[in-house]
Amino acid sequence: MQSSNADLDRRKRFEQIVGVFHQDMYRYAAWLCRDKAIAEDVVQESMLRAWKSLEALRDDSAAKPWLLTIVRRENARYFERKRLETVDIDNLTASQAALLAEEPDDDLGDMRAAIYELDDDYREPLVLQVLMGYSTNEIADQMGLKQGAVLTRLHRARAKLKDVMQEQAIQ
Amino acid sequence: MNCEEYREAIGADPHFDGGAGHVSECAACQEYRREMLALDAKIKSALAITVPELELPSLDEIAANSDSAENVVALDSRRGIPTRAWFAIAATVLLAAFIGIRYIGIDNSSYQSLAEEVLAHSKHEPGAFEPSDKKVADDQLYQVVPSNIAELDHSTGLITYAETCPISGNEVPHLIIQGERGPITIMLLPDEKISEAIPLDDENSHGVILPVGDGSIAIIGSRDEKLEEVQKQFVQSVMWDT
Repeated sequence: MQSSNADLDRRKRFEQIVGVFHQDMYRYAAWLCRDKAIAEDVVQESMLRAWKSLEALRDDSAAKPWLLTIVRRENARYFERKRLETVDIDNLTASQAALLAEEPDDDLGDMRAAIYELDDDYREPLVLQVLMGYSTNEIADQMGLKQGAVLTRLHRARAKLKDVMQEQAIQ
Repeated sequence: MNCEEYREAIGADPHFDGGAGHVSECAACQEYRREMLALDAKIKSALAITVPELELPSLDEIAANSDSAENVVALDSRRGIPTRAWFAIAATVLLAAFIGIRYIGIDNSSYQSLAEEVLAHSKHEPGAFEPSDKKVADDQLYQVVPSNIAELDHSTGLITYAETCPISGNEVPHLIIQGERGPITIMLLPDEKISEAIPLDDENSHGVILPVGDGSIAIIGSRDEKLEEVQKQFVQSVMWDT
């Protein structure tokens, strides 16, 4: 009886955490791999990992960075296994194109395409900062970088996006 | 703080709240900050893609297998394999075993050089080309690489294969670790003394046999794999006289 109560508590805890953060997990995965179908696979694998190592999460207030770290590792594992090639924006699969296709607003569509084309090194810190609300220190921890490198990447990412959007506006 | 410093800080984080003294007196930087905040709002909207209805994993199924936490594998690789496919796999394994024995076990005297033999052996080893996330058991690793040969653990890299293999008539440790671009073959050759590094190169892979004291180490990866860090780690780990 004690055991089944413990199981129930564990399930509730997991479902609460995942319920709150599954959207962040999916969006982070989608912008890491730039493919909706792969993002779903990565999130599912991440959830399995999270469930099995739930005891490693001592403090639920740290659940978000814990889950996003798992997503990052699962994404890397996925690409190690599949050895996928780099993405050419002019030759996307349906699942890759789906990430860009849903935006009815031209301006936002252009911005999404510009973010899609950013190098991984620039796109990831931007996603963590703007979408996930990470500080530059937290991004540095997550990506294994020095804070100065993170600041440089963020600055360059925005400069690149600003240039692209200005070019689009002129056209 | 001057304009350049302020704009760098704002470019890295438009919500940066330092430099108040400068920005209060600089209309251009005030405008730049407004632009960057507007850009950030647009970035945030663009990043907020629609999240589909995700199929959450069945907790009942997971709980039933909860002892195998280390064995989580990709969803697609967990799909069932038809019986006919199992027979095909079995036949392939037998054929590979036959070829392995034919070319590695018996016919190694036909190689013209150590480089040729090492390269050929690496091509015929199971696991040499398939990425894996399953590390080899510690017992197996320490049996293949005894402490008088090298001191290794998984901090060296994800070691997914460890077997003893015949090279130039000696049984040597043959390891596969997972690199950034795929599997990397390592052969520890404590009895193969060479005077200088021997490059290894073919259509799909590259590597080197490095002289290390009285022996050598062979390292082979895919053409776009960077091997320098792996070389350094393995050279440091060997225990024979260097």
